[in-house]
Amino acid sequence: MKKYTIIILVFGLAALIAGPGCRKLDVPPKSIIQDQDVFGSSQGIVAYMARLYSELPIEDFRYSPQRGLNMFWIISPPPATTGEALSRDQTGSMQENSSTDWNIWSGCYTTIRDCDYFIQTIPTYAANYNADTIKRWIGEAYFVRGMTYFALVKRYGGVPLVNKVLNYKPGSPVDSLQVPRASEKATWDQVDADLTFAINNLPEAWTSDGKNGSRANKYVAAAFESRAMLYAGSTAKYNTTTLFDANHNQVCGMAASEAAGYFQKSLNAAKMLDGHYSLYLSGWSATDKNAQYQNYVNLFFDPASPENVFIREYQYPNSVHGYDAYNVPRQLIGSNGYSSEVNPTLDFVEQFDGLPKNADGTLTTLDAGGHYLLFDNTMDLFANAEPRLRGTVILPGDQFKSQSIDIRRGIYTGAVGGGISPLLPAGSRAQYPTTNLITSSTASQTAYKLPNGNLMNPAGLSGVFTGDQTCAISGFSVRKWLNPNLPTAQVLENNETQTWIEMRYAEVLLNRAEAEAELVSLGQGGADLQTDAMAVINQVRSRAGANPWTDPGTTPIDTIRKERRKELAFENKTYWDLRRWRIFSKEQNGRIYRILMPFFAANAGPNGQYFFDARTDERNDVYTYDPRWYYEQLPGNAISKSPNVIQNPGY
Amino acid sequence: MKHVLYFLILFAFGAVSCSKVDNLAAPSCTITGSTIDEGTGNTLQTEIGGGGTRVKLLETSYDSAPVPLYFQSMQDGTFNNTKVFAATYKVSVEGPFVPLVRTDNSGNTVSDSSQTIQLKNTATLTFKVQPFLRVEWVGDPVVNPDTTVTVKVRITRGTADPAYQQDVTDINLYVSNTKYDGNNNNDPRYSTLTSYSGSTGTALLGQTITITTKGGALAPQDTYLRVGARISAGLNQYNYTTPVSITFQH
Repeated sequence: MKKYTIIILVFGLAALIAGPGCRKLDVPPKSIIQDQDVFGSSQGIVAYMARLYSELPIEDFRYSPQRGLNMFWIISPPPATTGEALSRDQTGSMQENSSTDWNIWSGCYTTIRDCDYFIQTIPTYAANYNADTIKRWIGEAYFVRGMTYFALVKRYGGVPLVNKVLNYKPGSPVDSLQVPRASEKATWDQVDADLTFAINNLPEAWTSDGKNGSRANKYVAAAFESRAMLYAGSTAKYNTTTLFDANHNQVCGMAASEAAGYFQKSLNAAKMLDGHYSLYLSGWSATDKNAQYQNYVNLFFDPASPENVFIREYQYPNSVHGYDAYNVPRQLIGSNGYSSEVNPTLDFVEQFDGLPKNADGTLTTLDAGGHYLLFDNTMDLFANAEPRLRGTVILPGDQFKSQSIDIRRGIYTGAVGGGISPLLPAGSRAQYPTTNLITSSTASQTAYKLPNGNLMNPAGLSGVFTGDQTCAISGFSVRKWLNPNLPTAQVLENNETQTWIEMRYAEVLLNRAEAEAELVSLGQGGADLQTDAMAVINQVRSRAGANPWTDPGTTPIDTIRKERRKELAFENKTYWDLRRWRIFSKEQNGRIYRILMPFFAANAGPNGQYFFDARTDERNDVYTYDPRWYYEQLPGNAISKSPNVIQNPGY
Repeated sequence: MKHVLYFLILFAFGAVSCSKVDNLAAPSCTITGSTIDEGTGNTLQTEIGGGGTRVKLLETSYDSAPVPLYFQSMQDGTFNNTKVFAATYKVSVEGPFVPLVRTDNSGNTVSDSSQTIQLKNTATLTFKVQPFLRVEWVGDPVVNPDTTVTVKVRITRGTADPAYQQDVTDINLYVSNTKYDGNNNNDPRYSTLTSYSGSTGTALLGQTITITTKGGALAPQDTYLRVGARISAGLNQYNYTTPVSITFQH
């Protein structure tokens, strides 16, 4: 009995202590940051915004279709999926890999939730700030949300629109959380609404950051509105895939009649930047091709460039990338052992002006008699090349980091009398013959003694090696974005910090011209639009040192697209352009891209001469883009979480 | 002794819980059958993998709007899946033919030739479809003196429905050293791929088309040839001839 009494006493005592004690223990844990800590001070808001910007889904130095966003390891680079370039690690067309570390679907919804939470919560703290400041911050959150919906709709078509934070109480039904996909049109309209809200609420410039482009302002939002609405218009016009859900919501595809409205919005938004930004021309000269080339190189590195509309900055060691480590020419390889991941194709190079061309637009490498043209130096073929080409691509023999980039496939030791006939029949996809050719399988080479007594390595210092694809496998190496001042000791993964320019004024001009030409083609605009489109394209061409556009021709849209692909090459834009134009599956239809192989003919001239062989990729990598991929596959977990979310066609 | 009893009671609880283990028997029913060209009565040739015909299952006994299950048809147009749960299914096939389930411009179903089955053991299904294109051999392939091969085919429309009579965009002769020869699996050195714009490809319909392998002499090994053609409809999938094999006497 005594035992029980003690137990009752203990419980009674415990109840007495715990009763009032419980209430006092109900305080926010000190180890978790509370709303008050974040929303109560402008420093807290800056931290919140920094997170939103770092989550912003843009295809920057850390993006590849293979590994998704925010992944440092870029060895399947986006240009190697579009035909801009070949890479040893990318051997064909691909859609985005949906099982990446940073899942694009769920990652985007995390960002959207963060925006919604901010928009809902900040008014509670209105007393802490002046109204104008709050208005700007909300505009910023709308900008990020609009950009995130844009990232989703360009991949998947219509997606669930979640513009309020969803709250789940354990044990309650989940039906209200299973938001179905909105129609594709409603999703594009959501992007339009969010970005328009941002345009109307963001300042022209932030007093703290000025207009350096790292933070969204009114014009940044307008520039992205021009891009998004151009994508929407193209999708309405060119898409042929449709998908309805059980409620007759068209989650893939839109009526073609919507196209003109979107193109008009794109045009209006692009024009808003008039007079506020301009093309980078600081070292440019109308008469000096070398100055034009240097200016084009510098535009990617000058923080004061008036062309930078929206940028993403990096800082060692907090946020870094490895662009140079993956992409320098082989002879400038860093100690991680990577190099030459992006090797521009001949198909890409042939788009530029100033090259000798055949009637069918291909590069001239043979004389009238069908023999190879001979050159003393490899750069002689490119003597009159458009300066922008040299700023985009390292041509064989061009200078980079004070070195001549040495690209050579082999030494031809055969007779040269009467000219050298092609090594292979035209169009052949076979291997090169082994007779009369000295080649090297790796970078450890044995020099060959030329007839004049000099020694020469069979392959160039940057390739091409027959057994090691860490070299210029296409005969070219990429130049755009490569930091010309980075010492080789610093060419390392996760060590580079040059700025990514996500939106530059040149793209705004290209958006404008394309929207105008599309409107004209839809009968929605007259000669004035055509004239304006040509004028803005000529601004871009003149800066590039390309030939001016004088005759609109029968397919002005194609002319504008080609200009866009040249100007924005290697900026991870072409992948999305080929998708929205719905021409990916036409361009990559059993396609093998072409390459340009320089050979040194030992017996030509007194000291030997070069010739070039244009052929298809020696690896015979075939690119075939599946039309299903115009709408990406939704990740399986998005569908298993909600029966209301349906898969795209064909998956 | 008392302690032993406690343990026994614990074990008893354990035994009861064990019998509740969710070990549903593995699926053991079979869905088998074929997709047939209603014009010729032959099974419809397709390619292996995602670009070919697939069978769509909607398990309607579970949910009125279930997440669909798919399995891929074989290249020759037959299909066989021996690991399906017993249930009620609405079954259809998807591929390079006039869809069995058709919707209008606002998402209303206008026709539905799916078949609903109550699967218990084995269900054998036949789907009669109208292929976009019918690709047929004309005679046998001819090995030329230079060891290239020339084939002749005739391509006709498989449907009279104008909604599925878009222009022919591609007519390709595929060369491979396996019979799984097609747009996703062929030897690019020898395959002759031809794209057409406008109505130039369509103008070849009904004619005997002659195509020769490219890239010079074929390698002396087993070689399979197949011709595929497509129009720009649906997911732009190809219709194919049967694969034929050639053995060289070098």
